[in-house]
Amino acid sequence: MSKKIGVYICECGTNISDRIDIDSLIEEISSLEDVGVAKKYGLLCSPAGKKYLAEDIKKEELTHLVIGACSPREHEQTFMKVCLEAGLNPYLFQMVNIREQCAWMISDKEAATRLAIKYIRAGIKRVALHKSLEKIELESNPDVLVIGGGIAGIEASLSLAGPERKIYLVEKTDALGGMTNKFAQLLPHQGANLSIVKDKIEQVNNNEHIEVFTSTAVEDIHGFLGNFEISVTNQEKDSEKKEFKAGAVVVAIGFGLYDPKETPAFGYGDVENVINALEFETMISSGKIVLKNGKPPASVALIHCVGRKEKGYCSKTCCLYSIKFARYLKDKLPNVDVSEFYQDLCLPDKSDQNYFEEAKKKGIHFIQSDEIEIKDINDRIKVKYKSAEGKKEELSVDMAILAPAMVPSQDTPKMAEMLNLPLDETGFFKEAHEMLNPVATPIEGVFVVGCALGPKNIPDSIVQSQAAAGKILSTLIPGKKLEPEVKTAEIREEFCTGCQTCLSVCFYGVISFDEHKGISIVNEAICRGCGSCVGSCPSGAIKIKHFTYPQLYREVLEALR
Amino acid sequence: MDKDFKPNIVGFLCNWCSYAGADLAGSNKLEIKPFLSVVKVMCSSRVNSNLVLTSFLWGADGVLIAGCHPGDCHYEKGNYYARRRFALLKKIMESLNLEPQRLQLSWVSASEGKRYAEVVNKFAEDITKIGPSPFRKNQNL
Repeated sequence: MSKKIGVYICECGTNISDRIDIDSLIEEISSLEDVGVAKKYGLLCSPAGKKYLAEDIKKEELTHLVIGACSPREHEQTFMKVCLEAGLNPYLFQMVNIREQCAWMISDKEAATRLAIKYIRAGIKRVALHKSLEKIELESNPDVLVIGGGIAGIEASLSLAGPERKIYLVEKTDALGGMTNKFAQLLPHQGANLSIVKDKIEQVNNNEHIEVFTSTAVEDIHGFLGNFEISVTNQEKDSEKKEFKAGAVVVAIGFGLYDPKETPAFGYGDVENVINALEFETMISSGKIVLKNGKPPASVALIHCVGRKEKGYCSKTCCLYSIKFARYLKDKLPNVDVSEFYQDLCLPDKSDQNYFEEAKKKGIHFIQSDEIEIKDINDRIKVKYKSAEGKKEELSVDMAILAPAMVPSQDTPKMAEMLNLPLDETGFFKEAHEMLNPVATPIEGVFVVGCALGPKNIPDSIVQSQAAAGKILSTLIPGKKLEPEVKTAEIREEFCTGCQTCLSVCFYGVISFDEHKGISIVNEAICRGCGSCVGSCPSGAIKIKHFTYPQLYREVLEALR
Repeated sequence: MDKDFKPNIVGFLCNWCSYAGADLAGSNKLEIKPFLSVVKVMCSSRVNSNLVLTSFLWGADGVLIAGCHPGDCHYEKGNYYARRRFALLKKIMESLNLEPQRLQLSWVSASEGKRYAEVVNKFAEDITKIGPSPFRKNQNL
């Protein structure tokens, strides 16, 4: 079929016509090959302009369309809709930016006109190489898999569950609650007595749209946004296997704790009455704060930052719970002497400063210190340290409570491999973007929340779970099909040498290797169309639709004319 | 130096940052030398060696690749790939007896209209000083 390209130059009021000689532009390009129509119009994006354009496309029976106007960032979508209305495939259209990147940046009208002619010629030559592209629609499952039954996973499940959305909440231990099950109390502004956690667990258990799997491990996850296939096995019931589908995955696998034995200077495991924070929580739960000999301690040292230097980050939560411990000790044993050994105090939230000031008023000592060494000297604990002034000092106490760093859950590497998610240098999951996209990952439809992303307190974990839920709710709308990117990569099998370079550059795990054929395969449903694979393919076997080599090459040739 | 020399420069701009930065330069009516023609790509990583070398072989006096700042790539890592390829291309250019300064990689964000104008004008100035590409005579369009 012969081509008939229509070229329309928008005057944009006088924005373009004042600075570009549109008449001589049209004269220059109207005799180019396949150009059937070349016209100017006052304001193409106006309702009258769009109507005119749609009618003209039909009347002139145009096969391709070029519009010289503002930036495609302004009105490309507008004119693609006009194409659709007029029965022209919207990808047989090229929008040429002669306003922002031409008229508005070159004050010499002659020079601007010359550049505009180049751009329009390039648009005409390019559009002649365009192919029709069709949007495809994919069925999408609105259900969600939540991995991890701690506070983050619980909150994500509660935020997402509903009559049209089933949640599969998978927890590897035999109970929901995660690390909070080992706590005796929370901070006062977090509800102190853990009732909020218990309430939430009850809400989960009473929610008919949440199916809870405890003592269950995720074995395999395959697929992509809207279409994940999941298999899990129950660790107790003879490894009973279950399979189900979900549209999105929330990873909320929490954290582990640094083992203080890794740094022998802390004396953990060696020196009697040196315990870690979780062991002290257990003491609080039992109501008995006692030493190994059964007597209550007369003096206690709280050691912050255990493992901070070794791991290379602050765990954010330890200062506050150490203050919580100190205040508890003072309330429980009024004559006890309590000293907090800290490197820097981390008091980020609005209620924290006051909580700390109150602790000081209760007579708790705060000692900025470094190079802590805990020794057993004549059956007493000796805390040796370097003071803020740089002096070597020491203090004898009956009990020392270590605040170990929060570290990635031991399941993190396995989960990262299963879902193709990156980890950062701390070993926690890496955000898609720490600031702009903090709970998303490179894999569309997979989110990571809570302490799986790094140390944080319960309120911050809840915020992240609600954020991920919001992202999922606005993407996986029940009954709505997904429209994947159209301008995707495509492998030309006959050119692919099977070198797999493209697999290593694709950030989104879109490309896989077909062992049988010995070539790479693109999953177009999840390709984002960046073209990294095209740029890296040594044999030119990959093309990206709408940004093909011939199309860009034509633009380059016209630029050099 | 030829006083009438008007360089021909191809500018590959990524859709998300640099193309938007160029739009902003225009919206702010910043004056830009009319020697650079923009070719939009979705990501700077799409600009394969072939496109750059073709541009030179067809007589481009300069080629600019502009993408998002490191860490800000819309596709997370594309600009890092572009940067590696850029280093490689410089070597290839030396072997073609082409001044490596004719190829430039710059980071321009969507909010950096002023930076876009500075980058393009400075590059146009540099290329004007270097003079016409030895491959210009190959042009037979």
